[in-house]
Amino acid sequence: MPLDELTRLSIAEAGEHIRRRSLSPVELTRAYMDRIQRTNSEFLAYITVLEKPALAAAAGAEQEIARGNYRGPLHGIPIALKDLVLTRGVRTTCGSRILKDWVPDADGTAAIRLHEAGAILLGKLNMHEFAYGPTGVNPHYGTPRNPWDRTRMPGGSSSGSAAAVAASLCAGALGTDTGGSVRIPAALCGIVGLKPTYGRVSRAGIVPLAWSLDHVGPMTRTVADAALMLQALAGRDPADPSTADVPVPDYRAAMEGAVRGLRLGIVKDLFFDHLDPEVRDGVLAATRSLQGLGASLQEIALPAMPHASAASFAIITAESTAYHEGYLRTRAAEYGADVRARLVTGQFVLATQYLKAQRARHVIRAEVDAALRRVDAFLTPTTPIPAPPLDTREVTLDGQTEDLRGCLTRCTRPINVTGHPALSVPCGLTAGGLPVSLQIVGRYFDEATVLRIGHAFEVVSPMRSRRPPLDA
Amino acid sequence: MAPISTQLLDSISQELSRIPTEQRDLAVAAAQLNAQTDGLLRLDDLELLNVEPATVLLPPSEDCRAAR
Repeated sequence: MPLDELTRLSIAEAGEHIRRRSLSPVELTRAYMDRIQRTNSEFLAYITVLEKPALAAAAGAEQEIARGNYRGPLHGIPIALKDLVLTRGVRTTCGSRILKDWVPDADGTAAIRLHEAGAILLGKLNMHEFAYGPTGVNPHYGTPRNPWDRTRMPGGSSSGSAAAVAASLCAGALGTDTGGSVRIPAALCGIVGLKPTYGRVSRAGIVPLAWSLDHVGPMTRTVADAALMLQALAGRDPADPSTADVPVPDYRAAMEGAVRGLRLGIVKDLFFDHLDPEVRDGVLAATRSLQGLGASLQEIALPAMPHASAASFAIITAESTAYHEGYLRTRAAEYGADVRARLVTGQFVLATQYLKAQRARHVIRAEVDAALRRVDAFLTPTTPIPAPPLDTREVTLDGQTEDLRGCLTRCTRPINVTGHPALSVPCGLTAGGLPVSLQIVGRYFDEATVLRIGHAFEVVSPMRSRRPPLDA
Repeated sequence: MAPISTQLLDSISQELSRIPTEQRDLAVAAAQLNAQTDGLLRLDDLELLNVEPATVLLPPSEDCRAAR
């Protein structure tokens, strides 16, 4: 098989070849390295590439599998990590100048779990500086390019993760999501992104943006691959007290079930106002597809949800500034202008505003929980717009002008406030060839149903066989 | 109500939080705070009197110094 074709296999496909020993992890890793060497200067997806360690790890995996010690579907699979996941002996920059030479002496739990599952680490991925922004624009390491149109934003903050997965520079990647930072770049780059339930995946050993809103999740080319990565990542971790001791199901098996009989909610007023018309058409077509598969649709109301935006603002600004206060006092000039200005803002949020926002979360969360007793999941667009041009600052929809950051996070950040699981799945292309994505939000710790709906849609989706014009 | 000014924010950063800041950052901060103030006030509409904050209580045996 030609090298570039190897890099287009899904994790599930490559894993099956490796299990049957019809594909060598070394051959697969070499294929990805070859592609990274040829194209990373164009996509700017990686900050650090680990060629020798990756090939050595792949050789080790190959020998282990040959001895009969096959660990599972991630064994020998080349993956990459957003560059805020701590990696022992490998620099971890957080996309910043401040940490450009920082080499941690321990691994984050997510890195450990993927390693224990046999995954091969190709390198560390570019990102919005300190994960504080949804555009992916990075003044220090360059802005990763959107593989569907290199003049467009990749989305952020997990910009390198999305660009790398979409451009076949890794089989799967890890991202983090505080206001949409897994789902937004996944949507703009036409891949799958999963924000699990708060407490499902350990945040230990990941540089935080906002402790109470941060989530860690997989970014992949298929829903099945997201299920496989989540399987390795999920579960209680004593190093992260916010992780829950809730049983971890077999996601891959649960994902295969039908959606017939499932009840799906639509929150029309909130999530379907002021959308790009092609996004609205694509997402509504996706909901009709799910209806055609036997799911029922019903409108639901979430009257407290509009308050999530203000709550999110108070929490994210206060928590991020609390974390960065030391650097702000001593190394403020080394931040990029956009991130520094937002960090400066956090010092002016009152303690009473922060606590009011944390109290509001209870009310908003309870309302979503009540709605999710009437439906199995609800559907929204992931982003109101497709990938905007790189220099975009504001967006005008239906005559209303909105700050780009607010627009990109409008459908995603309420779900960080509530902590429910949410999956972004590509559902179509605009006439200009840009991806549009559907967001599926489910009950606490019921990632299985969210994945099942996403997988069922993916099978009939018009995006199933579409790939970015990588080698055009 | 008068909008939040950069002068006010400058005083707070110098006297209270003591984080050195530049005028251009204060201008962005003022714009962000002015854009969010009404929304933050409207959180009162949720009737929060008997609602506790959604903060995580750490069990005593756990180590909170997880990340760095």
